Amino acid sequence: MTEHLANFPYLTCMLLSPVVGLTILLFLKEEWGLAIRMVSLVAAGISFALSIFTFVGYDKTLGGLQFVEKYEWVKAFGITYFVGVEGMNAPLLLLTGIVIFTGVLTMWELQERVKEYFIFQLALVTGVFGVFMSYDMFFFFLFYEIAVVPMYVLILIWGSTRKIYAAMKLTLYLMAGSGLIIPGILLLYSSSGLYTFDMVRLHAVQFSPWIQKLTFVLMYLGFGVLAGVWPFHTWSPVGHVAAPTAVSMLHAGVLMKLGSFAILRVAMYLCPQGFQYWAHLMALLAATGIVYGVFVGLAQTDLKYVIGYSSVSHMGIVGLGLATGTLDGLNGAVFQMFAHGVMTALFFSAVGFIYDRTHTRDIHELGGFSKIMPVASAFFITAALCGAGVPGMASFWAELLVLIAAVKVFPIRGLFAIASLVIGALFALRVVQNTFFNEPNPKFIHFEDVSPFLGLPRMILIGFLIFFGLFPQVMVGLIKTSIVPFIQGM
Amino acid sequence: MTMLLFGPELYFFCLALVLFFFSLRRTPKVKTDHTVATVLAGVGFLVALACLFQKGDLFFQAYRVDLFSQIFKAALALGLFLVFMISRNLPAIEERLHAEFYLFLTTCTLGMMMLVSSVELLTIYVSLELSSYSLYILVPLRKGDDIDVEAGIKYLFIGAVSSGFMLFGLSYIFGATHSTYLADIIPRMPQLLASPIGLVGVLLALAGFFFKLSVFPFHFWAPDVYQGGANQVVTFIATASKAAAVALVLRLAALGASAGYDFAQALVILSIISMTLGNLVAIVQKDFKRMLAYSSIAHAGYVLMGVLAFTEVGYASAIYYALAYLIMNFTVFMVLNEVARDGRDLKIAELAGLYHRSPLLSMSLILGIFALAGVPPSIGFTGKLLLFTSAMNQGYFLLVLIGAVNGTISLYYYLKVVYAAYFVPGQGLPTIELSWPSRFLNYALCASIIGFGVFPNFIVELARSAVKAVL
Repeated sequence: MTEHLANFPYLTCMLLSPVVGLTILLFLKEEWGLAIRMVSLVAAGISFALSIFTFVGYDKTLGGLQFVEKYEWVKAFGITYFVGVEGMNAPLLLLTGIVIFTGVLTMWELQERVKEYFIFQLALVTGVFGVFMSYDMFFFFLFYEIAVVPMYVLILIWGSTRKIYAAMKLTLYLMAGSGLIIPGILLLYSSSGLYTFDMVRLHAVQFSPWIQKLTFVLMYLGFGVLAGVWPFHTWSPVGHVAAPTAVSMLHAGVLMKLGSFAILRVAMYLCPQGFQYWAHLMALLAATGIVYGVFVGLAQTDLKYVIGYSSVSHMGIVGLGLATGTLDGLNGAVFQMFAHGVMTALFFSAVGFIYDRTHTRDIHELGGFSKIMPVASAFFITAALCGAGVPGMASFWAELLVLIAAVKVFPIRGLFAIASLVIGALFALRVVQNTFFNEPNPKFIHFEDVSPFLGLPRMILIGFLIFFGLFPQVMVGLIKTSIVPFIQGM
Repeated sequence: MTMLLFGPELYFFCLALVLFFFSLRRTPKVKTDHTVATVLAGVGFLVALACLFQKGDLFFQAYRVDLFSQIFKAALALGLFLVFMISRNLPAIEERLHAEFYLFLTTCTLGMMMLVSSVELLTIYVSLELSSYSLYILVPLRKGDDIDVEAGIKYLFIGAVSSGFMLFGLSYIFGATHSTYLADIIPRMPQLLASPIGLVGVLLALAGFFFKLSVFPFHFWAPDVYQGGANQVVTFIATASKAAAVALVLRLAALGASAGYDFAQALVILSIISMTLGNLVAIVQKDFKRMLAYSSIAHAGYVLMGVLAFTEVGYASAIYYALAYLIMNFTVFMVLNEVARDGRDLKIAELAGLYHRSPLLSMSLILGIFALAGVPPSIGFTGKLLLFTSAMNQGYFLLVLIGAVNGTISLYYYLKVVYAAYFVPGQGLPTIELSWPSRFLNYALCASIIGFGVFPNFIVELARSAVKAVL
C-alpha cells in the first residue's frame, strides 16, 4: 500500500480535539451549563469539520493511504503511532464526525450531571476516531477499549429501563470479546517474526494456515460481539434501550461498526486464508442474524427495542457483505456501515425526543402521534423508510450491493435474507402506522413540536441520508479505491 | 565514591535512627513526627533518584549497585514517601506508637533496598528477614479488636514457613554448587538443572518471594492481613513490598532460565492458578481491602507471565508492571484511606455517594480501578499488554488466552466498585475535604496513571537497560 505523508497532522487534530475538549471540561464548574455544552460542541465540531475535510480531500486518483502520520512509540515492542485515511475508513470517520456532532446537539437539553456526561462522551468518541484511523494493532486495540468502557458509566448514570443489568451485561460481553482479541493480535505479532504491531507490514507476511484459521476465528468472535453478530448480539437491544439518546446514537450508529470494521481491517486483511476457511460460517451467522432480527423486532412494542432488533438485522447485512469477499459485497458492506450508522442515529434521535416528552416508547400508547408532533414524527418515519430500504435513501444502494453479491456467492442464504427484508419492510410500515397514524392519545395532546434548533441535528442526519441516496457514486467511488487493492491483496 | 554507591541505604539508615529517637519521647508529638518523617522520606526519594545511575560492587561482591537495583530503590523510596503522605491521621494506631510506625516502615524499606542489591544468598536472606520482621511488628500494631492479632500471627507463621522453604532451597543450591554467590552459581546452573535437585532448589528458593508477592500457594495470608492490618500498613504491604518481591523473583528466577521447559512450566502453572483463583474469589468479597487482597493474588499471576518468558522484554515488562502496580494500587488505597478516615475496614458498599462527597477522589478511584482492571489508556493496560506480548513471544498461547479471559472476569468486581462510587447515592454523608497536599497527590497520581500509560517508552527503555544486568 502506498503511503502519502500528511503535510499537517489533520488526523491527530481530529483525534485530539475531543481530548482537549474533555480536559477543558474537567476544569469547568458544573453550574456553567452553557459553557460546558459550547466546549463540547466546539470540540465535536472541529472533529466533524476535519472528518469532512479528509473525506472530501482524499485524492481518489492517487489512492493508497493518505494523511499518514507515523512515529515510533515503543521501540522495544515495535509499537508505532501510525494513522492514515483510505477509501474504506474515510466514510466511517465522516460517520463518527456526523454522529458526535449531532449527538452533542441532541443532548443539549440534558440536565443531570452535564459536565461528566460530556466528558465521558468525548472520551468514547476519541476511541472511535482512533480505531478508524489506526494502522498499528496496539493503538487499534487501545482505542477499541477506550471506546467500549465509558459505555458502562454512560448507561449506568444517564440510562433508563433496567440500566444496571444492561450496563453490566454490555460491558462484560464486550470485554469477553476483548479477551479473545488480545491472544489473536499477539499471536500474529509474535508468529510474524517481525515483532511489530504495524498492520501494513504484517500484511506482507505469509502466516501459516493454522495460525490464520485460529487467529481469524478468535478475532471474528471477539470483534463480532461488538458488531452484533448473531448469537452474540443479546447485549445490544438491551443496551440500546437502556442507554441515553445520544449514547444509543453513538453506540448503534458508530460503535457497532467498530466491530465489523475491525473484522474487515484486521481479521480479513491479515488472515485472508483464515477468512476463506470461515467465510461460510460468517455468511450463515449473518443470514441468521438478518432473519432473526427482523422477526424478533416485529414482536416488540417498545420503539427502542424495534430499532435495537432492526440493528441486529442490518448489521447482519454488513456481515453478509463481508462474508462474500467480493468487490460488490465489501463495497456494500462499508457503505451499509455508513448508511446504517446515520440511519440508526436518526432513529434514536427521533425516539429520544419523543421519549423525553411523553416518557413512553410504547407503540400503542403513542397512537396517532403524527397529529400531535408532525415534525418529530416525520424524523422517525424518514428513518423507518430508510430502514425499509426505500430507493433514494443511502441504505437502498448499500443493501442492493450486498444482496446482489450475496445471491451470487451464497444463493440460499442470500434469498432468505432478501425475503425476510421484504417481510420486515412490510411490518415496519405497520409499526409506523400504529405509532403515528392511529387515534392520537389525549394525554399527549398539549405537547409542542420540535423547535428548529432542536430539529437541526435530525435535519443534518436526514440531509446526509438523502445526499448519499441520490449520489451513491460519491461514496462507492471512494470506497472502491481501497477495496480493489484489498481484494487483490487477499 | 563508595559512600555514594551506598547512598540511599545510608540515608534511610540515618532516617531510621532519627525516627528511633522520636520513639523515645515520653509524650508523643504526632503532627511534628508526621511532617518531619514525610519531608525526610521525600528527600530520601530524591536521594534515591540522584543515585539512579550509580554502578559498582560492595562488600566483597556480595552487594551489587546497578540500574536494576537503583530503579527498585527509587520505587521503594517513592512507596515509603507516598505511604507517609497518607499517614497524616492514624486513627487505627495508638498515638504513642506513631513514631514506631514510621520507624518500622523505614527499616522495612531499608531491608528491601538491601534486598534488591543483594547478589549473594546469605545477604539476600538477611535483608529479607530485616524487612519481614519489620512487617511482622507492623501488622498487629493496630488497636482495637483481635482481628489484628489473628492477622499478625497468620502473617508471621506463613512468613516463617516460606522462609523455611526458602532456606531449604538455598541449601540445595549451595550444596550443589559450593558457592553462595549468584555470579558463581549461574554458570553452573545449566548442568545442575538437568537433575531434580537444581529445579527443586530454585523453586523452593523462590518461595520466600512468592510469599511476599502472594503467589499461590503462599497467598493464604493476604486476605486476612489486608483486612486485619491498619490501612496505612496494608498500603505499604500492597505497594512497595510487592515491588521488592518482583525484583527478587526476577533475580532468582534467572537462575532457572537455562532450565527451559520444566521450570517455565512450573511457573506457568503457578501463574494460571494465582490469577484464576484470585479473580474468582475476589468476585464474592464485600470488604474492599479483602477484595484488593484477592486482586493482588491475581496480579501476582500476571507478573509471573513476564518472569517466565526469560527474555529481555519479558523482564522489562515485569519491571514496568511492578512500577505500574505500585502507582495504581496506591491510588486505590489512598482513596480508601481518605474515605475511611476513622481507620475502619471499608465495605465496598460504603463507597456509596463518593461522587457527591468528593468528585476528585472518585476520579482517582475510577482511574485507579480501571488501571487495575487493565482498561486503557492507563498504565495498567499497557503493562498487562506488554506482559501478554512477552509471554506470547515465547509461545505461551494458552497462558495468554487464560490471562485475557481473567481480565474479563476481574472487570466484573472492579466495576462493582465503580458502580458503588459513581451510582449508589450516599445517605446524607458529609463531603470529604481534602488538604492541598492530598489534592496535589490526587492530580499527580491521575496524571501518571494516564501519562505513563500512553507514553510508556521512557520506562520501558529504562527497564530494558536495567535487566541486562540480571539476565
